[in-house]
Amino acid sequence: MTAEQQLKLQALLDGELPEKEARETAAWVARDAEAADLARELRQTRQALADAEPGLRVAESREFYWSRIERDIRRLEQAPTLSQPVSVLARLRRLLVPVSAVAALVVIVLATGLWVGFWGRPIRPDTEMTMADSGAFTYHDYANGTTLVWLDYPAER
Amino acid sequence: MRFKKILRPWCGWMAVVCFLLTFTGLAAQAKDLKFEARLIWATHAQKSPDPNHKPVTAEVRKKLEALPLKWANYFEVSRKNLAVPRGGSEQVTLSDQCRMGVKDVKGEYIEVSQIGKGVPVLKLTQRLPKGEMLVLSGNAPDATGWLVVLKRVE
Amino acid sequence: MAETDLSSADDAALVRAAQKWDMGAFEELVARHRDKIYRRAYSMMRNEDEALDLSQEAWVKGWQRLKQFQRESSFSTWMTRIVINLCLDELRKQRRQRTGSIEELDEDSGGVERQMPAVIVNPTERLERGELRQRIDRGLDQLSYEHRTVLVLHEFEQMEYKEIAKAMDCSIGTVMSRLFYARRRLAAVLADLKDAK
Repeated sequence: MTAEQQLKLQALLDGELPEKEARETAAWVARDAEAADLARELRQTRQALADAEPGLRVAESREFYWSRIERDIRRLEQAPTLSQPVSVLARLRRLLVPVSAVAALVVIVLATGLWVGFWGRPIRPDTEMTMADSGAFTYHDYANGTTLVWLDYPAER
Repeated sequence: MRFKKILRPWCGWMAVVCFLLTFTGLAAQAKDLKFEARLIWATHAQKSPDPNHKPVTAEVRKKLEALPLKWANYFEVSRKNLAVPRGGSEQVTLSDQCRMGVKDVKGEYIEVSQIGKGVPVLKLTQRLPKGEMLVLSGNAPDATGWLVVLKRVE
Repeated sequence: MAETDLSSADDAALVRAAQKWDMGAFEELVARHRDKIYRRAYSMMRNEDEALDLSQEAWVKGWQRLKQFQRESSFSTWMTRIVINLCLDELRKQRRQRTGSIEELDEDSGGVERQMPAVIVNPTERLERGELRQRIDRGLDQLSYEHRTVLVLHEFEQMEYKEIAKAMDCSIGTVMSRLFYARRRLAAVLADLKDAK
């Protein structure tokens, strides 16, 4: 049996042959014992796979598994909003003509500890990673003043 | 013309502000940044097999329990203090396989780097005000974990 | 959506709610389908940690793209496609870091499996389900990522040859060769042939 014949037989079983070619191939399988044996093997293998895909389950609890997903979603959703305070301040700076209003703005900026460049450069994000393995993610617990950085770094392989 | 009228008094105020900032900035320069670094082993077991390991303090435990970490118990493997000069950096060895570096970057930002088994693992820039904690964590064999906790004390 | 309603709602209702940013509804969808998504990732990656990470990444992407879900397929099929694409990206990245092996070249050209006589694979009579799953697992482990991926996409996801070729960025002929090789290799494992290599 040639390689081409074997692949054609497989395509017949997978329903991938055009109608005319499927009829011709089926006729050949019916009269060729070797082809019939191979067809049976391929069918049985397919059946075995259909019957018994390994039934794995996620080992982690529902809450723990979800917690990472939720954190990543929120982290990605929060990232674009960092620019909002900057644009608001930039607008205020342009609009506040009276000197007393400008001075009050500077005092507010100093009091809250935020420092934005004069031309409205974005506020630096809380955490910037300049080198990390691809699996790192960050979680901020603002209430407790804690930042968690989870790494895929293996302690031991 | 109108623009110059607005700008003149504003410049005066800016000069005052800059003077104040410079004065407070210089005062702050004198003090080093002080940190506490801990290497912690996380596990579900009630006790650590190493008698030198102690359970973490109640304060640290409370903060770790508030994080989405799966372990039940935390044991302190080592603890070191760091004093990072303004604009400078300091390194500390937490174990024979774990070193941490802290560098004062600008204002309230610090750069933290971690080296594990001689290999750079992480470098990040982080705001870490006084009293706050940075926790680096990952898995270890047998369903345990490692944590490096950096807390700014001053 | 009220919490009591979530567990009794069907997928379509949960998806509608999640598309209106109801994260509780999305969390219920995650809980329902997480095993299937994880299983698919594991069947491709053969590494539990990688499968876990990729399955969670798939859920995040699913949330971000939820508005694009138009119900042309079931929600779980749509999510499965997302995790498959993530796995394929990761496998390509890993492949770039690997060098080709003589065995892989041999697999692509067909190798001994082309010449091997047909074997009897009769799992329902000879093997219990648990043992069958173990054998299949072992067989999948023996395959290269290219062969395993083709097998998984065709047998578990019922994708056509041309869909697989597009997903794997190869020709239909290559898909057919790899599928044939993978099936024959698996048949040898299931038929209890020793040292099938």
